[in-house]
Amino acid sequence: MEEQKPKGQEREVKNIGGASIDGAPIAYIVVLAAVVTALAFIPFSVVMASGGSFPMNQGIFGLIGWVLGPIAGAISSGIGALIGVFVAPHTAGVWFVTVIGAIVTSFAAGCMGTQNSKRKAWWIGVVVVTLVAFAIYVGRAILVNGIRLQWAVLATFVNWSSLLLFILPTRTMVAKWVGSKNLALVAAGLALGTWIAFGIAHTVQNAFTYTMFNWPEEIWVMLSSVIPIEFLSRAAIGAVIGTGVIAGLRAIGLVKPTEGIY
Amino acid sequence: MPENIVVIENVSYSYPRSEQMVLSEISLNIKKGEFFGLIGPTGAGKTTFCCALNGIVPQFYGGRFFGKIEIAGLDTLDHPISVLAKHVGQVFEDPETQLIATSVENEIAFALENLKVPREEIMRRIPRVLEAVRLEGMEKKHPAELSGGQKQRLAIAAALAAQPDVLVLDEPTSQLDPIGTQEVFSTVYELNKELNMTIFMSSHAAEEMAEYSDRIGLLSYGKLIQVDTPEKVYADIPLLLENQLRVPQVASTFYSIQKKGIKLPKIPVKLDEGKKLIRDLAVDRPLHCSIKEEDKSSSKGELLIHVNNLEHVYPDGTKALHGVSLDIHTGEYLLIIGQNGAGKSTLVRHFLNLLKPTSGELTVNGVDSKKLTVSELASHIGYIAQNPDNQIFNMTVWDEVSFALKNLKFSKEEIIRRTEENLSSMGLLEYKDRHPLALPKGDRARVVIAAILAMYPDTIIFDEPTTGQDYKGSQYILDISRKLHQMGKTVIVITHHLYLMPDYAERVIVMGKGSILLDAPIRQAYMDTEKLNSTYLTPPQAVLLAKELSQMKDEEFPLLTPSEVANCFSKNGGAL
Amino acid sequence: MSMKFQTVERDSVFTRLDFRPKIYMMLVLTVVALIWESPVVQLSLAFLILIACFLSGVKMKFIRTILLIMTPFYLLLLITHGFFNISQVMSLTGKDELTILFTIPQNWWLIGGLNFSLEGFWYGINTIFKTLTIVLVVPLVIFTTDLDNIIVGMVRAKVPYKLAFIFSATLRFFPLLFSEIGMIVQAQRLRGLAMEKMNIIQRVSVYAKVAVPLILGAMVQSQQLEIVLQSKAFSGDPDRTYLHESILSRLDYTVLIFFTLFLIAAFVSWGVWGFGAFSGPTDALLF
Repeated sequence: MEEQKPKGQEREVKNIGGASIDGAPIAYIVVLAAVVTALAFIPFSVVMASGGSFPMNQGIFGLIGWVLGPIAGAISSGIGALIGVFVAPHTAGVWFVTVIGAIVTSFAAGCMGTQNSKRKAWWIGVVVVTLVAFAIYVGRAILVNGIRLQWAVLATFVNWSSLLLFILPTRTMVAKWVGSKNLALVAAGLALGTWIAFGIAHTVQNAFTYTMFNWPEEIWVMLSSVIPIEFLSRAAIGAVIGTGVIAGLRAIGLVKPTEGIY
Repeated sequence: MPENIVVIENVSYSYPRSEQMVLSEISLNIKKGEFFGLIGPTGAGKTTFCCALNGIVPQFYGGRFFGKIEIAGLDTLDHPISVLAKHVGQVFEDPETQLIATSVENEIAFALENLKVPREEIMRRIPRVLEAVRLEGMEKKHPAELSGGQKQRLAIAAALAAQPDVLVLDEPTSQLDPIGTQEVFSTVYELNKELNMTIFMSSHAAEEMAEYSDRIGLLSYGKLIQVDTPEKVYADIPLLLENQLRVPQVASTFYSIQKKGIKLPKIPVKLDEGKKLIRDLAVDRPLHCSIKEEDKSSSKGELLIHVNNLEHVYPDGTKALHGVSLDIHTGEYLLIIGQNGAGKSTLVRHFLNLLKPTSGELTVNGVDSKKLTVSELASHIGYIAQNPDNQIFNMTVWDEVSFALKNLKFSKEEIIRRTEENLSSMGLLEYKDRHPLALPKGDRARVVIAAILAMYPDTIIFDEPTTGQDYKGSQYILDISRKLHQMGKTVIVITHHLYLMPDYAERVIVMGKGSILLDAPIRQAYMDTEKLNSTYLTPPQAVLLAKELSQMKDEEFPLLTPSEVANCFSKNGGAL
Repeated sequence: MSMKFQTVERDSVFTRLDFRPKIYMMLVLTVVALIWESPVVQLSLAFLILIACFLSGVKMKFIRTILLIMTPFYLLLLITHGFFNISQVMSLTGKDELTILFTIPQNWWLIGGLNFSLEGFWYGINTIFKTLTIVLVVPLVIFTTDLDNIIVGMVRAKVPYKLAFIFSATLRFFPLLFSEIGMIVQAQRLRGLAMEKMNIIQRVSVYAKVAVPLILGAMVQSQQLEIVLQSKAFSGDPDRTYLHESILSRLDYTVLIFFTLFLIAAFVSWGVWGFGAFSGPTDALLF
């Protein structure tokens, strides 16, 4: 403490903070949603099977979940993606599938490492929803459209691997890595976490898109090799962006949202 | 209603996790209807001071707070910010982030809606405040459709709509061009005079503050070290210089004259008073204005950039350049000036092939620019863009400065050598492992400059390097530009701050509405007040004083700086 | 690219409607397009929406962009369903054999001998126009709505005020961030990054790196935004007044009722008569 005490009387300071949702300042939610919308214009690759191009913002949905927590993250990604659909419908394909993908990715990511004791079981909810979606998707493929089992298993590798990794302790390990001081671990955590979170969202999305498009087996064969590559690149992008952002956020020393795990 | 609308008693404040007092034992009363100006170098605590007036400091930030502030009788710690917001209107520096709504009327309504003002009342107030800031009829416009000055006036209108007791403006003009600055100051002045609105404004714009404010407070390291009329504060030149503040040129001129032993009734700080006094001084006095004639034209090097009849039309159809022609030679120090939208940045971006000519010809070192890639050009022509934060994308200062060298595929040793050299010449070597964004703004600007200079470009373009910088920061950057020029490099500077440039620039290009209005040596260009006015630029006050002398004596005095004007006067030249 | 929120210039029934009935219409049409699988019905629905887009003044250029971008995807749908979708189409039509439109000559490498079926073709048409309906209904609803009406409509439709605020503030700020992307890319090129010589993967990684300063810059700006919001007495509390009113007119109610009835009718006729089902009564003329 300073040896010279200020002349004025010290006052009791009631720190009210700003408006927030689930511990994340509204301003953070707004700017990150705006980032999502802005990145909706930057194409990344074309994902034929989900109907449209794959904009760059998909690389940050997971990150937003880790930075803002599951609820604020889902709101931010969801609103950002929704406005992205409105202002650039040509990049989004089927609008509600895009928005659902954004929401589920951020929510699943945010659930991975929650320290909030009331939320310890939220991940189970995610698992249940994913299982139902998986059943609709793969069930329809095998039972209605006659896809052979081996192709159904191969082409859904990203889906079931993500779900497994989400159920196993790898879920909390990802969170621990993302919060680590070692940036290499952060990057690894982000890559793996992006794979998992997006795999879960992809499953939920497919419950809708597959019902619409009913891809025949030949497409499944083709996709079984394409999708993992796409997921790898998405994970790499998630890691590149996320590591830079998290290192920067730590350096700037902005107030950390309550549910953030970085 | 108390006479004093703002009462500050022994206020000290420190941010959380810091022991340093950002505000230190401040006591001040501001009367209703007063225009109070707050000056001080960057980091003195001006923004914190402004935020303390509506309780954001400390209610939002936390930290330790001593003493008390009362606004219209309300203690800023005992009342929530939302209540204080009714009494204090705030206007901030950045025109973009402070406009949060998607139309002009929504912007004005936003605070009122939050304050639960009935809808009918909001509708009554909107046209009234728009009229007060002269934005009538713009209710439905989107903020993106407004100019910088209009955006700030809208922010003022939005603050006014809550009918506050005091309007607090924190550096409202530092991001604006001269016309925008003029708009904001005259609007605020009108509000003050016609509506008797109490104004509390912090600003670096010395000339305008001297002109308009009733009292000036000088903040230094969190302490209010001087509070007095502008006549007193701005005439105390040693005090200003000690605090690294810019002196209005009128005051600076007469201070120098006084130093020559010529007795003055007082040191004027306003232009009109200065003009009057200089006439009085010169009336029975022979003037010996010796201008040292710089032989700058002889140093003309080889042809570097050749622009012939360049036109540029943006994809939306805006014609930004109309038949621009000019030659730039190596070793020149070139200043490009003009209002926003005059085409300055559009022109220089062509030098780097960032924009391609719609028609016309542009060669760099004799090669058609269209045949060169941006990255090839960039290693010869360093372009330092405006906002440093858009130019920082690495995780350490070291990586930032070596980024370009890696792209240009230099050897490892060369990268290390150049990075180290540039970091140490900018005084940044000790921060090499820090994250660039963890540094203060002035240092971030230097990181970007170091990163560009590491490529050893022969030509360096500074695009508005002084916008948002205080006097010290501006001078630091311009001194770098001079050093580069002395090393034989070609320097091109775009700026609105004409008064900073006489000591640096040689040649001036005046642009207006996409054309070159004037291309002349700086002395000639600055004296051409008509051309400058036609693109909404005001010459420095020293030039206007020199003009006054020229008019009076019917003789040309092409003087640019306060010291040049002062040097015309000598003690034995006659008595006042 | 226009970064301003697009609105149509023409006055039409769609611009006169409140946001709520329109959003309801969008949801109903999306749901109905999802359950229907009949190419005839999907074609008619997509065609109706396309006409509505024209009538309400949605820019031709915009629709053309959408079609251009979706075309490869639509071709893929048509080809795969025509050639490969056999078991599903057989079970939907209840046929044991599909009508072959043409067969690829046996001597063609890899794809020789493939049959393109009429039923598969029509199923492909169904999926194409299903997506087109869902995609085109967005500009029809959004571009004909004034922004103020969207926000107030959201609040009146009991969307929490904080969410409505985030929505509107995001709309305000994303163009600023979008232009920042351009500036960051420019800054990288000015430091010798040779975008011209890069392959697609390298370019993607450049854009990924652009996101880092973009996000960090946005987070720094958000601090300023917080202060601005505070000084404007914003607390996120929905108890506030609103400049713009949003009162449902008789037309709005009519539209709400119409689409409710439409939804019920669609479900009932689909369940009872198979209206809109693939190979149902509406497709009787086709195959």
